[in-house]
Amino acid sequence: MKKLAVLVTTSPYSNLSVTALDYIETALKSNIELVGVFFYQDGVMHASKNIQIASDEFQAIQHWQRLHHTYNLPLHLCITAAEKRGISDEHNDSIHAIFTVSGLGELVELTTKADRMVQL
Amino acid sequence: MTTLHIVRQSAFNTNDYAQCLQVLGDNDVIVFIDDGCYNLHHHLTNNLIDNLNNNLSKSNVSAINIKLKVIAQHANARAIKINEAVVSKIEMTDLVSLTFENDRVITWQ
Amino acid sequence: MSDHALKTLAILNSKAPYSDSAGKDSVDIALVFGSFEQPVSLFFQGDGVWQLVQGQDGSAIAVKDYLKTFSAFEFYDIEDIYVCQNSLEQRNLPATFHIEAVQVLNQRDFAERLTSHHTIFRF
Repeated sequence: MKKLAVLVTTSPYSNLSVTALDYIETALKSNIELVGVFFYQDGVMHASKNIQIASDEFQAIQHWQRLHHTYNLPLHLCITAAEKRGISDEHNDSIHAIFTVSGLGELVELTTKADRMVQL
Repeated sequence: MTTLHIVRQSAFNTNDYAQCLQVLGDNDVIVFIDDGCYNLHHHLTNNLIDNLNNNLSKSNVSAINIKLKVIAQHANARAIKINEAVVSKIEMTDLVSLTFENDRVITWQ
Repeated sequence: MSDHALKTLAILNSKAPYSDSAGKDSVDIALVFGSFEQPVSLFFQGDGVWQLVQGQDGSAIAVKDYLKTFSAFEFYDIEDIYVCQNSLEQRNLPATFHIEAVQVLNQRDFAERLTSHHTIFRF
């Protein structure tokens, strides 16, 4: 089975995240093993409970939740990048439960496990 | 050994695509997605196609047999017409396949 | 991880150092991969070459000078550092840098070296 990992560096309020989700879901449906998604830079905003996107706009978080629950997709959050953007598990409990608090060591792990690591 | 280049930005706005063209290798694949679709209107793409057709290396593109592809949905959404003689339409499933058919991926964003 | 130890990472730096946090985000990744003893090479293209210019002083504009951490690369066994000659010439920059062991490569060599890596991140 082919193994894929994805580095998400784009925010949930950009249309770029629609593409990232589409790519990941397509891979999952193509029977590719997603070893994990790592959220870095503005990508960490996906994990914030405090993001409020108008209800008629694309709700990236709902799709991450669906993929996480349907495929057991691991979602790793760079906590340093998150805290820099006001997202924390300790100070304000603002991280969606589907995300695993991680550090860059996890990015090393995913990169070594995957056949391809793609930045989106 | 080939590289998949995923181009996400318009060359009318950033240098990402121009920098991509600097590192092309023979038989590499370029896929335009997101605002990268606008590059189908950019002279850099016209120059690239001319050079590939003429097999010239006078410009900054010295690689041969580069394949150009665009995600049809992303181009259609932007009213970008695709000249299928030079750029092939693909779907997201193809992008996933290309990820593994090539040896590595660079995302230009 | 030992069974995958041969995978190599290239980080392609394309942004100037101060107004964008990309350079710092990139160095953080390089140092972590280095500390996990994963092979990392660094490439500088476009405005990324400004990260290597001598005599910069981020403190003058209240930027934490992460460029100083570049001198730690050798302690993380990050020794493959390449800069694009075209990008230097376009900016009228000399091939003198604030760290040693930087190799200036012409377009073809830069491209070939970059694409000899398994994983490539671009910041």
